[in-house]
Amino acid sequence: MAIVKNYMMRSLNSVALDDTIEDAIIYMHKTEMPILPVVDEENHFKGTIYSKNILKNIIPEQYGFINRQKILYDRNQAAETLSEIKSRKVKEYMLTKTETILEKDNMDKIAEIMLNNKESYLFVTNDNGYLRGYISRGDLLYYLLCTTE
Amino acid sequence: MITTVTLNPSIDREYFIDEHKAMKDQYIYDDENLKVYPGGKGLIASINLKNLGYSDVQNIGFVGGKQGLYFEKMVQDYKVTTNYVYTSNEMRNNIKIIASTPPSNTLYNDYTYSVSKKSVKEIKKRFKRSIRESDLIMIAGSIPDGVNFDIYYELIEICNELDKDVYLKASGEALNRALKAKPKFVVPYFKHTNKILDVKVENREDYIKMGKELQNKGAQYVIMPFHTNRLLFDVDNSLYLLSPEDYCIRNLLGAGDAYNAAFFDYIFQNGFDFLEANRYAAAAALDIAEHKIVFLKGRQEIEESIDNITIEELEV
Repeated sequence: MAIVKNYMMRSLNSVALDDTIEDAIIYMHKTEMPILPVVDEENHFKGTIYSKNILKNIIPEQYGFINRQKILYDRNQAAETLSEIKSRKVKEYMLTKTETILEKDNMDKIAEIMLNNKESYLFVTNDNGYLRGYISRGDLLYYLLCTTE
Repeated sequence: MITTVTLNPSIDREYFIDEHKAMKDQYIYDDENLKVYPGGKGLIASINLKNLGYSDVQNIGFVGGKQGLYFEKMVQDYKVTTNYVYTSNEMRNNIKIIASTPPSNTLYNDYTYSVSKKSVKEIKKRFKRSIRESDLIMIAGSIPDGVNFDIYYELIEICNELDKDVYLKASGEALNRALKAKPKFVVPYFKHTNKILDVKVENREDYIKMGKELQNKGAQYVIMPFHTNRLLFDVDNSLYLLSPEDYCIRNLLGAGDAYNAAFFDYIFQNGFDFLEANRYAAAAALDIAEHKIVFLKGRQEIEESIDNITIEELEV
């Protein structure tokens, strides 16, 4: 049986709940990852922080947010808003309702989740909820390619 | 989960050429003559442990710049779990030129890598949250510029706080300062210096004296390299000499890392027995040294070398 563990990226690169938005942005930039897993002080998976979500908070107009106080008109204002929130905690901006998969799950389950949720990355945990890595759409396609061969 | 720590990893490149000569351009067309792999003491031990069948082995450390991304992908190819703090500076590269006529081996060791204070703070935080599933942690190798010599002491103190045992392979001031945290296993090494605790060691008596001193300063067990032998300092103050017999060394690259990994393997497979764990570890190192390989292949090869390892107790 093709299980997730054989195809996932075994990476524990992550940010913590009390890391700052600035920490997360720098880490996203250095690792070239648009999304990072968020863990607690024992490395249990707690959610994800998306670059898209951070952008939403500094450019609300583009995403249809109604909060007039926050409406921005140009890049400089976005940068200004970012400087205001960069010291805020990751836990304030993370998504907690993120679907995870287990390393022992069948790869076929991944396709279903990725198609239904439009997730480009799924984070993998073990039975005890510890982060174990992630699997991307590219990994899924690679698995499908191997299957056809 | 098995945890190893490599704070100063490198991308290692080996070039195999006919003749290493100044002003002579070299052209390499055969990929057999150019090898690129991730380097670093704890990391190589991780790869060995994966080859011995362990499912979850993580390597924690710094990696830097765009080369860090490449390095991490290389490590992932060995199925080792990566847990890296990315730094702004590019990581280091070691180059080895291996020539056949006349036989020579030239190393260009790169020690230019440096990390920021913020990255050091981050690695301590990352380390603390990432070792929860590990009972025995291997910390090995040199430290990059920008990292205080107290770093190993601080990491071991985190392990003590969380009731984890530490296997420390270190040298110089980082080793000196780590001792006060009382690491369980200490393996000094002599890549840059032939000193232990700032004292020059030359003959066996010097090594024995300094091994005892390492214990007096906090190490519980000491595994002291002594040429191709090991001096083993047990916690009960007894002393042993471990030696290989009937061997032919063809390669030393990777032998020490195989020793470290196999020491762990013995404990995980059989429970802790200081002398037998070292005998098994030495057999693994001998397997590497007698073959032109860098990584362990499996337990069978280790078992085949066990009978070539002797341990005798020495009078103190």
